[in-house]
Amino acid sequence: MNCRCLFLRRKFVPYLEGGISSRQAERLEQHLADCRECGEFFTRLRAGHQAGRQFGRVGPEIGRRPPDFEELQADIGKTLNRRGVPVRTGGTFLHALTTSFAVRALFALALALSFLLLHSNRITLWRANGRAAMPSKAREYRDFTPLRITDFSSNTKSPVVTEGFVRDVYFDREEKTLHIKLVDVQQKAEPFVICEIPSPGGMTIPREGSHVRVYGMARYDSQPGRGWNEVNPVVNIDLLKR
Amino acid sequence: MVLAAQCGDEEAFRELYQAYRDPIWIMINSLIGDSLQAQDVLQNVFFKAFRGLGGFRFQSCLLTWIYRIAHNECRNHLRKRSVPVIPLEAILGSRDEIDRTRISDPSEARKAVLRDVVMELPLKMREVIVLKYVEDLSYKEMSRILGCPPGTVASRLNRALAELEARLRPFRGIL
Repeated sequence: MNCRCLFLRRKFVPYLEGGISSRQAERLEQHLADCRECGEFFTRLRAGHQAGRQFGRVGPEIGRRPPDFEELQADIGKTLNRRGVPVRTGGTFLHALTTSFAVRALFALALALSFLLLHSNRITLWRANGRAAMPSKAREYRDFTPLRITDFSSNTKSPVVTEGFVRDVYFDREEKTLHIKLVDVQQKAEPFVICEIPSPGGMTIPREGSHVRVYGMARYDSQPGRGWNEVNPVVNIDLLKR
Repeated sequence: MVLAAQCGDEEAFRELYQAYRDPIWIMINSLIGDSLQAQDVLQNVFFKAFRGLGGFRFQSCLLTWIYRIAHNECRNHLRKRSVPVIPLEAILGSRDEIDRTRISDPSEARKAVLRDVVMELPLKMREVIVLKYVEDLSYKEMSRILGCPPGTVASRLNRALAELEARLRPFRGIL
């Protein structure tokens, strides 16, 4: 059997049904006369085709009639469960359809809640590992008191959130802490606060001249040679303008 | 009617069901071979069809689309069902017995033998025969339902008919 045989054999049934052109039929008949293998196969196929047509007239043996729409509505709940456990919805057919939509919506909701839960757990774990947690916006405004740099001297509250311009950034080798000098007005060196970052990992360190918002604990450093207001430790820095 | 059903009109669902129930019912029975199980499959088919109707884009005839669902549903059902194959002779008796017991009604004998032989064919062969001769579909429609090119459908039908002929050969006396 070659490619031509394979191609022409696909035309056998349409030929038997008179569904091919006379020219194609001629070519096919010529091939059947020339190719003994295809001739034998065609004889078998013709018998099979007749049996198939007979089966088409007889049809399958059906012991019962198909259910009416009302029966379908009543029984549709059984088909919902893929595990084969019959489940009755007790409602109408449309009710069953909408129920499946409701199940999908519930599933989506559960997925969203799981994501939120996972996210909040991540923050908790972050804290448990001793790293500074990034407070959410809601938490920032609830727990951190807004405070201008000029008001630090009279402040009694902590934690605070303050805004200013970065005047200086340096690393204190002795304390192993990153220091940021924050001023209220960019051109003036005072008033200022020193922002101390004990662990800068995971935090964006601003460049000099940047406008930033700093979250942390307000303190007063009374050590000799110091005597200034601090935000120590800094828990978060928002970069407002580079 | 389809658009109305897509909008959730129950009356449209009813009309669609009544229009397409019978051909799908015959197809399912031809593939499953048991009307009790076929009833469950039919319910699944129409439930899935109506549930997915919103996604029907009119790229094919709706009946062809439902045929495809039915075809997939039948395959899934048969895959799950693990009933051992019972040889034809075990049901009908030996060939001599068939000849003796049914000779009085040759028409019924022919029908019974034909049905049983077709139902014993492998599923892939049975489904092309059912779609072609029972449902009277074109190669193109069959290819959409079976998810393969028309050439493959033609080849599969050839193999199925040759196999049918071979299995019916012993019963030539009564056919």
